[in-house]
Amino acid sequence: MKTDSAMSVPALKKSNAEVKTDSVISVHALTKNYADVEAVKGIDFQVQAGEVFGLLGPNGAGKTSTVEILEGLRPRSGGQAAVLGFDPDRQKQQLKDRIGVCLQATNLPAKIRVQEALDLFGSFYTRSVSSEKLLQRLQLWEKRAAYYETLSGGQKQRLALALALVNDPQVLFLDEPTTGLDPQIRLEIHSLIQEMRAEKRTVVLTTHYIEEAERLCDRVAIMDEGKIVAMGTPAELQQKSRSQSRIQIVCAEPIVQSWPQWADAIETTLDREGRTLTVYSARPARTLFEIMRWLDQQNMQIEDVHLKKPTLEDVFVELTGKALRD
Amino acid sequence: MKTYLALIKIDMKLALRMRSVIFFNYLFPLMFFFIFALLFRARTNPGAMIQVLSMVIPLGVVGNGLFGAGMRSIQEREMGILRRYKVTPITPGPLLVASMVTALFVFMPYILVVLSIAHFYYHMAWPANWLSILIFISLGLVAFRSLGMVIASTANNMQEGQILIQLCYFPMIFLSGATIPIDLESFPQILRTISNFIPSTYLVRGIREMMFTGKSILDEWELVLILMVAAAVGLTVGFKLFRWEKEEKIRPSAKLWVAAVILPFLIWGVVKYVKGEPAPRHSQRNQNSGPTQAKQFFSARHESGS
Repeated sequence: MKTDSAMSVPALKKSNAEVKTDSVISVHALTKNYADVEAVKGIDFQVQAGEVFGLLGPNGAGKTSTVEILEGLRPRSGGQAAVLGFDPDRQKQQLKDRIGVCLQATNLPAKIRVQEALDLFGSFYTRSVSSEKLLQRLQLWEKRAAYYETLSGGQKQRLALALALVNDPQVLFLDEPTTGLDPQIRLEIHSLIQEMRAEKRTVVLTTHYIEEAERLCDRVAIMDEGKIVAMGTPAELQQKSRSQSRIQIVCAEPIVQSWPQWADAIETTLDREGRTLTVYSARPARTLFEIMRWLDQQNMQIEDVHLKKPTLEDVFVELTGKALRD
Repeated sequence: MKTYLALIKIDMKLALRMRSVIFFNYLFPLMFFFIFALLFRARTNPGAMIQVLSMVIPLGVVGNGLFGAGMRSIQEREMGILRRYKVTPITPGPLLVASMVTALFVFMPYILVVLSIAHFYYHMAWPANWLSILIFISLGLVAFRSLGMVIASTANNMQEGQILIQLCYFPMIFLSGATIPIDLESFPQILRTISNFIPSTYLVRGIREMMFTGKSILDEWELVLILMVAAAVGLTVGFKLFRWEKEEKIRPSAKLWVAAVILPFLIWGVVKYVKGEPAPRHSQRNQNSGPTQAKQFFSARHESGS
């Protein structure tokens, strides 16, 4: 599948000559300005066939601008971009015929029925999947005759995803597909995205949920203020981080005695109650062993032990100096 | 082609599911129909029915064009519905054409309804040139919907759209003869001159002329030509200025494009003014050449002292 998609990529246009052709999506020195605002400040990345690529960042980081340029929705201000070998500015029609898009906010006429919407959108493309199949796959079969206005938030989002799949696209752009949905629906949508990955579709996903990026993406680019500040697999990004693992131990009674300097412990704090000990360490296994030995020597009863490795969130906070959630 | 058919099919379904469409296309103009019929005593004077029809049909056409095409298009843009279409390979063409075809399917039965009521209840003879009349009305609908689309594409938001639509709507219903029969001698000449510059006047006159005199659409070629030019300009400008997203603002000067659609009517108004030719005066013409229905209507009005 990987080779097939790469081979089917048509020759790139002159302006994109330097962009590599073995990627499904290539972006080089991409910029986007709105009046006085520089939303995207020269970013580079490539997405390979069958990859789930995440753009992670807070609101206003330039994620949506980036994907909307790639979807052919708005023109870029500078740099190069190619999706399936098409220039999103100049070959909009051909590009749009082959990609699937789930916008950050989708709206349809209030009185359109679910299946009608799928049939209508299917008619816009040169190839389309049967609406029955999509309805069943996205668990909308029961709702096929319902008006759009009567659907719940989760059902509307599933329909938005069904619409993105209506042309059986090779590349999917999902712009914050789970924002504002309850956890149950988010999990459903996560498993759908995992299915898309299993089908070897290339997916570009923007999100400001760290766990979504960690869970779903093969590679993640962290964006902040129009720039990519880090890029790699979630594991690579965590390794690159200077952050330390956090050990948290809850004791039955308060710790009153002073503790020694445990091996590799960088920072140790005790909560107000004196029962919860938090230790940051670069080599958590060794530190934890030493703490446990000391607690045992002190005859302390332990109620709970937590070991937390650095997350993408820690990486993000470290790189951008800000928290990710709104 | 499948895109056009699918869009027309869905537009038809959506139109029939919306109560407002039924209200504004049927109930609202029918209300005026019966009020005018009462005012003009159409039950006792079949000629008066023609006058009534020449008023309520344009009223429907103008309303459908400005509110139906204009307002709906702005609404769909504001609600982000058009934005979803923008990420598919379709162009504005199929959307505009489908909306036009749907409007014809939805609106033309109204014409058949009023003609039938006029015939069966008010005893008006069926128009001999009914095909000409239906074509003329369809053409009018296309022209006024094009105008609506241009207004929609030059308005940056709902408020702007509403102001522009009202600015066009009120002169078009009050100064064209569609609500007040300003062609009649009892109204000042200045109103007739002004009416020459109002696009819907041409609808009122065209329908009345054809119904009173039995003329065909070919005899009214000047009116037909103006409507066609307006429709062509409107569709072209509407396509060019079509915007999918409310964020895509248009410069204020773009509103002048509305004038471009009205321009053919304005030019014609100027030509008439320069020639010194007032609006057609049916009372005079028809006393010599019109069918008896017309004579009956106008003589009845003179007798009643209007």
